[in-house]
Amino acid sequence: MTSLDRVPVGWSARVTRVVGDDPATLRLLEMGLTPGLTLRVVGSAPLGDPIELELRGYRLSIRKREATRIEVEVVETAQVALAGV
Amino acid sequence: MPSEQAPSAETSRNGGPDAPLVVALLGNPNTGKSTLFTALAGIPTRVGNYPGVTVEEKRGRLTLAGRRIELIDLPGIYSLVARSPDEEVAMAVLEGRQAGSPQVDCVVVLADATSLERNCYLVSQALALGLPVVVALTLVDLAADRGISVDHAELASRFGCPVVPIVAPQREGLDALADAIATAADQPPPPVPAVRPNDIDDADGHSPAALEAMARYRWIEQTLDGVVTRSSPAQWSLEERIDEVLTHRIAGTVVFVAVMLAVFSSIFWAATPIMDLFSGVVDSLAAVLSERLPEGAIRSLLVDGLVAGVGGVVVFLPQIAMLFLFVAVLEGCGYLARAAYLMDRLLVGVGLSGRSFIPLLSSFACAIPGIMATRTIENRRDRLLTILVAPLMSCSARLPVYVLLTAAFVPNTPVAGLSWLRLPAVVLASMYALGVVVAAAVAALLSRTIFRGPPQPFVMELPGWRWPQPLVVLERVREACWSFLSSAGTLIVAVSIVVWALASYPYNAEAIDAEVAREKIVLAERIDALSAADGEATAALRSELADELALLGTEEGLEAARRGAASRQSFLGQAGRMIEPVVRPLGWDWRIGCAAIASFPAREVVLGTLGVIYNLGEVDPGEEEGSNMLIRRLRAATWDGTNRPVFTLPVALSIMVFFALCAQCASTLVVIGKETGTWIWPVVTFSYMTALAWLGALLTYQLGTMMLAA
Repeated sequence: MTSLDRVPVGWSARVTRVVGDDPATLRLLEMGLTPGLTLRVVGSAPLGDPIELELRGYRLSIRKREATRIEVEVVETAQVALAGV
Repeated sequence: MPSEQAPSAETSRNGGPDAPLVVALLGNPNTGKSTLFTALAGIPTRVGNYPGVTVEEKRGRLTLAGRRIELIDLPGIYSLVARSPDEEVAMAVLEGRQAGSPQVDCVVVLADATSLERNCYLVSQALALGLPVVVALTLVDLAADRGISVDHAELASRFGCPVVPIVAPQREGLDALADAIATAADQPPPPVPAVRPNDIDDADGHSPAALEAMARYRWIEQTLDGVVTRSSPAQWSLEERIDEVLTHRIAGTVVFVAVMLAVFSSIFWAATPIMDLFSGVVDSLAAVLSERLPEGAIRSLLVDGLVAGVGGVVVFLPQIAMLFLFVAVLEGCGYLARAAYLMDRLLVGVGLSGRSFIPLLSSFACAIPGIMATRTIENRRDRLLTILVAPLMSCSARLPVYVLLTAAFVPNTPVAGLSWLRLPAVVLASMYALGVVVAAAVAALLSRTIFRGPPQPFVMELPGWRWPQPLVVLERVREACWSFLSSAGTLIVAVSIVVWALASYPYNAEAIDAEVAREKIVLAERIDALSAADGEATAALRSELADELALLGTEEGLEAARRGAASRQSFLGQAGRMIEPVVRPLGWDWRIGCAAIASFPAREVVLGTLGVIYNLGEVDPGEEEGSNMLIRRLRAATWDGTNRPVFTLPVALSIMVFFALCAQCASTLVVIGKETGTWIWPVVTFSYMTALAWLGALLTYQLGTMMLAA
């Protein structure tokens, strides 16, 4: 169990919970970051923040501050583990 | 031609058979909504803001399958929950409670086939509106390239409403869409989707709204199960690779810098020839009018007020067109969002976001296109903050002021013992740096005080790569130019005419002649006094004064002196004298105060005004001869009744700092008013920038004087 901001680039993760009840959390849910979803961290901007995600067939960028609200389980596959190092 | 039409009563769901069908276009951003609107309706019949909010209202007219249609383009949104102004307006229009908007008869929801799950979120909300719905499945060609196929017939039966696949740029599927709209409008609304928040197991700690969002996605996943099939992607990998390069730490940054250089140089340099052409046309118009009309108030009003004002408006068009061309192309291909993504970290520290970068960069050329380009910032708070600090970027109108004063008063000495680093270059660079630093400080301060609110989520879609649609790009450029001309242009001309009147009246020929005569006497007396006192030390000043006196003997010199006297006696001149106590601490005499006030229409006017005030008549400070004459006259200027020079290094620096920070640009203020929809923000901008400019100039002059004395 960790939060999305700690998932390294190239790794996939499954959302377990989106913390908080404010408009920011609702926006994340509306954009499809719902519990049970598997997503991939595609990259991060040159200064490390924001990060780029791939989910539900599209690309989404969120700041790390928002990513800390998203609790995830890292999904390790052989391919992902190789690419992630 | 777009035209403002009064909201008509043409319109209602229960209107007569001849009333046009009111169709609303609803969809996520980046789903090709503008492309579909242009493909269906062409040039909009109405573009503007909804009353009281900065949400764009766009309507068009067309005939589909024999029925007249009024097409309303709603703002691009992800969810029909009234949290942002865009969402509020969309809901109000759909529910028929937006003032001036007709009752909607049918909703066309666009759904991007490449990311159908997320797009169906809005579809599911639209299905619950109780209005007839048609789903337009867009970007099906891109989806096919990515190996995604959608069984639209099956989807239609699950939604209970027509689903029409379209490729808007190629006009594929538009006929089917037209038929579906015409038929659906007479049908009962589709069934409300069975979204069941109570079925979410892990419900603890979540609000009803959060549970509803989760339940909606559950409904979407069930509904799309078996409808969307994926085969091996043919294109996605290529798109992925492009994305990888363009968002790469090094390669992405290199491309970004190259693109931004292209954008900046195009508005800073490439637009110049067209701007020169425009001013050339305006100048020759002024020349023709001057020849044809008898001398007097009417000619002055037409030439110096009206034509000069119109010239001051059209001169902005090339830059606006150029910037919006770039913005529309970058937006159309998906790079605008990437640029914001790359730059976000840099701007978030001062309370802005990545979206602010291009508007701020453009403001180094001119704040007007820059402020207009803030339309691409979805977040209202970020947009307003960007608008408020954009005029602090040193625009090209400040450059002539910097260059002339630097050339005249900053000694060309090496800095820090480096022979290649000269003081004038350092001063010039400092002026640019000053604007950036102050803008960052102001943004940081405002975002932590008046703009402080709940943390703003930065959740931005990075749309897939695609070719920009030429028609959409052209429409964007046309609309930007038109909205500037029609809404800001008239006001800018009005301001120039008012300032012209203040600078031309009261006009009293006798008083002017008397002042010129007095000037001659004062000059002669000063020369006598100087010769009597000391021969050597004051030789230069003496010869300058003698030249000035000799000039008054020529017809041309006399005319210039009369113009100078008229300007000093005008309302503006009186205002300059009145504010002298305020500008004294900056090291300025009342003449500089006058020129600063007269430069309210545009900063660069200050040089021309100084020329007039110092009896040079109309000199062109942009040309070598004019600039040399002005520099000589400024160097010779003394405080009234003394031989103490007005313009010293600290005074020149204080004027430069003042113009770096002040808001002496009526056009910018007018555009801020138009873009924010209220007169509060231009007043705020003018007040805070003038206060900062005064403080900055005060510090510069006082510290500079102390340092020179030490």
